[in-house]
Amino acid sequence: MRRRSLLKAGAAAGLLPLTRPFVLSARAADTIKIGLDNPLTGTFAALGKNELVGAQLAVEQINAKNGILGRQVELLVEDSTSGDTATAVQKALKLIERDQVNFLIGNINSALAQAIANTSNQKGVFHIVPGGHTDSVTGTQCHWNVFRVCNTTRMETNSVSKLLLDSYGKKWYFITTDYAFGHSLQQGFEASLKTASGTELGADFTPLGTSDFSANLIKAQSTNPDAIILLLAGDDMINCLKQAVQFGLNKKFHIAGAQQELEVNEGLPPEALFGDWVFEWYWKQPGVPHVEEFVADIRKRNSGKVPTARTWFGYAAMWTCKLAAEKAQSLEPIKMAKAMQGLVLPPEVALMPNDPYYRIGDNQLMPTLFVGQSQPAPAGGDPEDLFKVSQLVKGDQAALPVDQTGCKMEWPS
Amino acid sequence: MTQLLLFNVFNGLIIGAFYALMALGLSLILNLSGVINFAHGGFLAIGGYLAYTLIPYLGFWGALLVSPFLVALIGIAIERVLIRQLYGRDPLYSLLLTFGLAFMIEDGTRFIWGAQSLPYQIPSWLAAPLSSEYFFLTGYRVFMMVLVATAVLGLFLILNYTRLGLRIRAGTLDLETVSVLGVNVRVLRNLNFGLGIYLAGLAGVLAVGMLGLQPTIGDNLIMPSFIAIIVGGLGSLPGTLAGGLLIGIASGVTSVFLPSASEAVMYVMMAAVLIVRPRGLLGEEGRF
Repeated sequence: MRRRSLLKAGAAAGLLPLTRPFVLSARAADTIKIGLDNPLTGTFAALGKNELVGAQLAVEQINAKNGILGRQVELLVEDSTSGDTATAVQKALKLIERDQVNFLIGNINSALAQAIANTSNQKGVFHIVPGGHTDSVTGTQCHWNVFRVCNTTRMETNSVSKLLLDSYGKKWYFITTDYAFGHSLQQGFEASLKTASGTELGADFTPLGTSDFSANLIKAQSTNPDAIILLLAGDDMINCLKQAVQFGLNKKFHIAGAQQELEVNEGLPPEALFGDWVFEWYWKQPGVPHVEEFVADIRKRNSGKVPTARTWFGYAAMWTCKLAAEKAQSLEPIKMAKAMQGLVLPPEVALMPNDPYYRIGDNQLMPTLFVGQSQPAPAGGDPEDLFKVSQLVKGDQAALPVDQTGCKMEWPS
Repeated sequence: MTQLLLFNVFNGLIIGAFYALMALGLSLILNLSGVINFAHGGFLAIGGYLAYTLIPYLGFWGALLVSPFLVALIGIAIERVLIRQLYGRDPLYSLLLTFGLAFMIEDGTRFIWGAQSLPYQIPSWLAAPLSSEYFFLTGYRVFMMVLVATAVLGLFLILNYTRLGLRIRAGTLDLETVSVLGVNVRVLRNLNFGLGIYLAGLAGVLAVGMLGLQPTIGDNLIMPSFIAIIVGGLGSLPGTLAGGLLIGIASGVTSVFLPSASEAVMYVMMAAVLIVRPRGLLGEEGRF
């Protein structure tokens, strides 16, 4: 009986994500409803929380500026979980069918973002993907109604690969998270390696949520690479970097990757803050209009903590809904999607150099990428200044041309 | 290749020892009280967070000593208030309770310490490899192995040479008879639960030296612990220890050939054991 109960317990663990709670903000009549279907629990909870904080600030600002087409905005928030596709889609359907949201925003997890995008397309709902990076969202599985704020994985790898190849050599070993995000990052780097006639010494795919990377690091070390490329996310990246430092691998090899996040850097001890990475937005941008105000606003509502790229994703996604509706002068998804083609984010939303815009043909935002190095907080400086930007790369210089993304946009008749 | 395999066998032993530490706590509670403690990973997280909070006041070593005891006290309180009410009922009741408790602890830690990972620092002399050839033998891992071995030895001494241990072992075999003989079973279960949770707290303090400290830190460690119990055999603490070590080694060796299957191999092992030897490697036949 007890062994059976134990086995039942294992089965119950599989149902765990379905039991997550949902959060519903206060509603008002005749408002414009925006549904946010993003992780609030699990591996990506911290990232999800920061996107929520950015979205909430945007809603507050939008409502203070006469809302969208004169109507106030209300934000409905659902916990998609961090990795359960069925739950994320179920929550998206709930937002669309029961709550009848006007626009949908989500998700952080690439696989979940793609699944929600396919659902929103079937339902014909205007949808912004704030932080799911896999190429297919604006590539092979692009949709007329789906727009993306964060970069594609190919943009991230292209922006940093030249620096890595030129500075550290052409023999790389990959440790990659085993889902859509990691796979497409690795494909991007493999393409760069091939162009440069480099060598892939090996690649380990590790399940999302891996705690122990020691076996992978032992294997990577045995191939004597020029660089160990970590294509991980969230807590997996923290675990791997901490263990790599304890093995002393950062003193023997160059350790780098594509995407890195401030949330990750803040979870690392100072000795694990190293390597070349790409940040998608950084809070310290001297001279860039409106960034300081944004940082101050977020600090006020987030216990003094600075905004991260995730905060900006949530903020920009929410503002995009307003910009699209007002340019289209309509809430009809098709009219909004048409109005979005080539739409440039104004400086108070862009919060970065080079006028980011939504590209015609694949609905992908072309922002600026921040290439640089992780660093311990400078003595006497801000404790959250954990990245040194060394290079700004324009999004459209890092992105594949539209005709190479695989996107075949089909508009409804 | 042989060297790589040997490296991974040793490395698997280290990780397996950690799984075993968690699994022993689970097993203690399951054996005496019949409670499948799904909140064990949550107690592990509390151990890590308490150590992080106490370090500025007590230093690394002070936090290492004190945190597991504090977690054990929390466990004892929770057993008295919540879990005790469900003894004698179908085990699914306590399973559901601890399942909910796991969520409460996860959200509680998120509420108190935030969702974001916190930087937990260990002494620099521990955070370095002992030799450049055997680089995976870091000071911290060796220290962890020594501490796990000490804890396991301590547990076996308690169980074999103290009155409390004798009663726990007797209670595991026949709690009713132990009760008839005048032993206060409520206190016995309470102390036993505290002992199991102490091991979870200790595992938590050790884990945050290698892993990111975030509310879900225990989630990924709880399933290997359950598997260690099933593979080793329900009711057998030596079996649990062996189960933990075995799945650690299996996972490490699989990483050499098929890294994406390093987690799945544990489940395959569990399935194989359940088919071939349902009582587990060292479990007693007909016991459960």
